[in-house]
Amino acid sequence: MPLGALYPDAISLLELAGVDVSPLRDGSRKLIFTAPDGTVFITTRPSDVPTYVEAGSADIGIVGRDVINERHPDVYELLDLQFGACRMAYATKDGVDPTPEIIARLGVVRVATKYPAVAEAHFLATGRQVELVKVNGSVELGPLVGLADGIVDLVATGRTLRENGLVEREHIFDSSARLIANRVSHKLRAEEIDALTARLAQAVAAESR
Amino acid sequence: MHSVHTLNVSQTDPEMSAVGALPSGARDVLPIEAAELRAVEDALRGTFSRYGYREVRTPVIEFAHHLERAESGGLDRAYRLFDESGRVLVLRPDMTIPVARVIATRFVDHPGPIRVAYTGPSFRAPQPGTPVASEVRNAGAELVGADGPEADAEIVLVLWEALRAAGLSEARIGIGDVSVTAAVLEGLRVPDQIRERLSRAAEARDFVAWRTEAAQFVCPKPQAELLAGLPAMRGHAEVLSRISDLVPSAGAACARMTRLLELLTQEGLHDAVLVDLGILRDWKYYSGLVIEAYASGAALPVAQGGRYDGLASRFGISRPAVGFSIELEPLHRAITQGSTSRDFAFGIVVVGGLDEQLALSARIRAAGITVIGLVAGDARGEALAEAEGWRFVGVPDSGGLRILDRVDGTSFVSARPEEDLSSRR
Repeated sequence: MPLGALYPDAISLLELAGVDVSPLRDGSRKLIFTAPDGTVFITTRPSDVPTYVEAGSADIGIVGRDVINERHPDVYELLDLQFGACRMAYATKDGVDPTPEIIARLGVVRVATKYPAVAEAHFLATGRQVELVKVNGSVELGPLVGLADGIVDLVATGRTLRENGLVEREHIFDSSARLIANRVSHKLRAEEIDALTARLAQAVAAESR
Repeated sequence: MHSVHTLNVSQTDPEMSAVGALPSGARDVLPIEAAELRAVEDALRGTFSRYGYREVRTPVIEFAHHLERAESGGLDRAYRLFDESGRVLVLRPDMTIPVARVIATRFVDHPGPIRVAYTGPSFRAPQPGTPVASEVRNAGAELVGADGPEADAEIVLVLWEALRAAGLSEARIGIGDVSVTAAVLEGLRVPDQIRERLSRAAEARDFVAWRTEAAQFVCPKPQAELLAGLPAMRGHAEVLSRISDLVPSAGAACARMTRLLELLTQEGLHDAVLVDLGILRDWKYYSGLVIEAYASGAALPVAQGGRYDGLASRFGISRPAVGFSIELEPLHRAITQGSTSRDFAFGIVVVGGLDEQLALSARIRAAGITVIGLVAGDARGEALAEAEGWRFVGVPDSGGLRILDRVDGTSFVSARPEEDLSSRR
């Protein structure tokens, strides 16, 4: 279970799919919860979800596409759960996009991001050199204080960008929450995982109606 | 026995303690694990041999261009070096391709079918941040020159029995067939461009991307649903009959796989196998059956394999081939998971076994019992037995040995330890 922005929607969708999520609602600071039916919920920061699933510590997990694209974990990606919709984007300061000028004069654009792999792949694919500055929070600061020319980050409503005088320049990909499964669990517990995937698919369809 | 250990941190200078570091992905194997790995390997080899798979060994170093001929991109993470005349060599990054080379070049006059088995290490540079070893020990078998579902069934059976013989109690074998998937795409006339993208989605195990790509292709609803859900289809024979109903031109590929399932059911493997069309590895390499074996406690499949009829032809001789490769370390981990205590090893530490008790020690060894010798008067007998897990400690007493049995803590004086010890087996 991904703590943070995806957490409440993940709980609601699981509940809609008939999963007993009552232990997750008790507001405690425990990291592991066990439901009466024996289901064990492991809560962790989103970027660690694929790590636990890949290692088999969890059979399945819920995580944003952004984390999958950054980490490329060796897992099955089973279902688009459609909540937590947002997009990965490249943004720079308001006004004329400085990027072409920077590339022309300096040959390399400096980008602050929490997603170095995603950012590097995007600039590589568009034929531009990039210098990455890995930051762990408040990426928007980068261009404002001269740390970087632009940022690559997840954008939901665009409000944070606007309030900090940044403008979205390039769309990289759309992200939303995904259901992932460990390669071995997906086979050893095939029946259970297929049944849950089908119920979640129905819940997703019901939500979008 | 619960106590807090204070670890002995070596107090030598920093340069010396760095000697414990190894190149990324490399590691040492210590005696307990080595013995268990050896037992696993012996069990696998025993099964291979009972089915007539004879062992071959290939060199650890090969010419890079020979292996590249078989699988483009297969050398991505290979370790490279140069020979005395500047030619590029690689440490073999897997075993299948060298074995295919051996069969294509050294068994030219063999009437077929050829059954060979192998065990040995292969080498790939680990990717940063992943806990993958650079040296991987594999054991595998190849059946070459037979192309029917009967040959496929034998390979699945040998894999299953080898895993059981090695001590794996809970396992499952996933069976896919890239020719079924290809026949569906062909039968529905899915354009090459979409096929290429489907193939990429399948290799990334990304069913979301598969469905997105499949939705680009317009066809009647039942067929569209089949295509969208193809890699998620699994179960048994019913999966195949559904496909051949909706895409008649895939009937031959489905019939072949159905026959394989019948044979496996006759062998008692019905519940052990799972038809899973989501097992879609490298389409260019495999041509039919693809198999993976899963064990509870291993995060990745413990074995992979399949049919690659085109592989031998890249070495000049066209022969159908089917086989698998088991990874030993994850298999060993799955077999021993949860075991915390280990059995005492059946052996005796004999104080004086290196000098004053040579004849007595020889008699015990002749009875097939391990003797670990110490110099007479050495006080480390019990400490040594504890450190290495030996069951008995013997100290000279009245012309024989006073023997401590560490299983129950009792001790007794024995004039004929070779007999008294044997009776405690």
